[in-house]
Amino acid sequence: MRNGRGIHYALLGVVSQNPDGVHGYALKRQCERVLGHFWQLNFGEIYRVLDRLADDGLIEQVLADAGSTRKVYRITDKGRRSLDTFILSPPTDGPRPLRTELAVKLLFAGTDRLPEVLRLIDHQRNAYMRQLHLLSSQRRKLERVPVDSFVTNLLIDGAELAVRAELTWLDEVTQKLGERFAGG
Amino acid sequence: MIQLRHVSKVFGSGDTAVHAIDDLSFVCPQGAFWSIVGPSGSGKSTILHLIAGLTSPTSGRVLVGGDDVATMSPAEAAALRRRRIGYVLQAFNLLPFLTAAENVGMPLVLDGVRQSEVDERVREALETVKMSHRAGHHPSHLSGGEQQRIAIARALVIRPAILLADEPTGNLDRAGGRAVMELIRDVNERIRVTVLLVTHDPVFAAYADRVIRIVDGRLQQDMALPDEPSDDDVSALG
Repeated sequence: MRNGRGIHYALLGVVSQNPDGVHGYALKRQCERVLGHFWQLNFGEIYRVLDRLADDGLIEQVLADAGSTRKVYRITDKGRRSLDTFILSPPTDGPRPLRTELAVKLLFAGTDRLPEVLRLIDHQRNAYMRQLHLLSSQRRKLERVPVDSFVTNLLIDGAELAVRAELTWLDEVTQKLGERFAGG
Repeated sequence: MIQLRHVSKVFGSGDTAVHAIDDLSFVCPQGAFWSIVGPSGSGKSTILHLIAGLTSPTSGRVLVGGDDVATMSPAEAAALRRRRIGYVLQAFNLLPFLTAAENVGMPLVLDGVRQSEVDERVREALETVKMSHRAGHHPSHLSGGEQQRIAIARALVIRPAILLADEPTGNLDRAGGRAVMELIRDVNERIRVTVLLVTHDPVFAAYADRVIRIVDGRLQQDMALPDEPSDDDVSALG
């Protein structure tokens, strides 16, 4: 799934969970809770997506209640149909790409730059460990909020397993490069 | 504080000598939570054994709160483990004929602490691991995860400055393992016990504030794990 499309429907989904409409600030808080570390969003990005959703007629801005001047976002019938269609159609994202940047570096680095390559792998490992740490903090934060986070926890499980697989691969690459080229 | 200064540990001698730890140095501050990762046989568990005085370094110094473990007599090292270091292993090692509470109190009973204080501290330790409701159960009536929580309470009952955990999730399913890791993280934050965790699972290693990777007995990589994302963090999902 392309990131743009994903965030488009993620925000539409969050808006849809508020049948009476939701204010921009509350929406951002809900996004943080539901989407958490999967998407780091600032107000600018959220409002850009909301404007786009409104232009497409998928959400509308209405007064919070009679006599109020406060405007809230609410999903339209068209938006609900669009979300339903999206939810029930097969995901378009493929498996993990084999053509990662690190793969290309490995292919062309050559054996004389082994120490530098190993440092790149260490850098990548560090980034993945930080990601796992953030996922574990995210899980802990979810424990403290009084909403059902069952599905979000499933998503965190998936992210953890994916990162763990990457780390296993990095360890294997490190070990095999070492055995083959460093005489170890 | 735990300090290793140029520590080496060689098992055997001559042609068959194995360098389990090779000139390793680090300073782990009081209250820190570190994970030690690395391939099998890289020396991870040996580091914990050295800190607990279960084995002596071939050279170098191992300082626990300023005291050199390497120069301690066996009796002093035993006192260190009985009063200042809690140890948790993959095997829960609970005595089957004792209740959870009696298992937790065992280190204090062996140390000659009077019963009223044993009772008080057992209650506190069971509360810390959220197992008060299981105090009277025997280990065979507890799940693996619950047994490990009792083993952690037994390690904490001495109010240690340091908790050493060697693959504490190794015998547990993912949910049980995660609960144990949440608990370890929680006691580190709440009672500021220094935690050194050995694990082969990166997901669990990442609960720590810092991860050190040991390869062939040497410090290969030192990774600080901040609580806030930074710009160069990869995104796990699109």
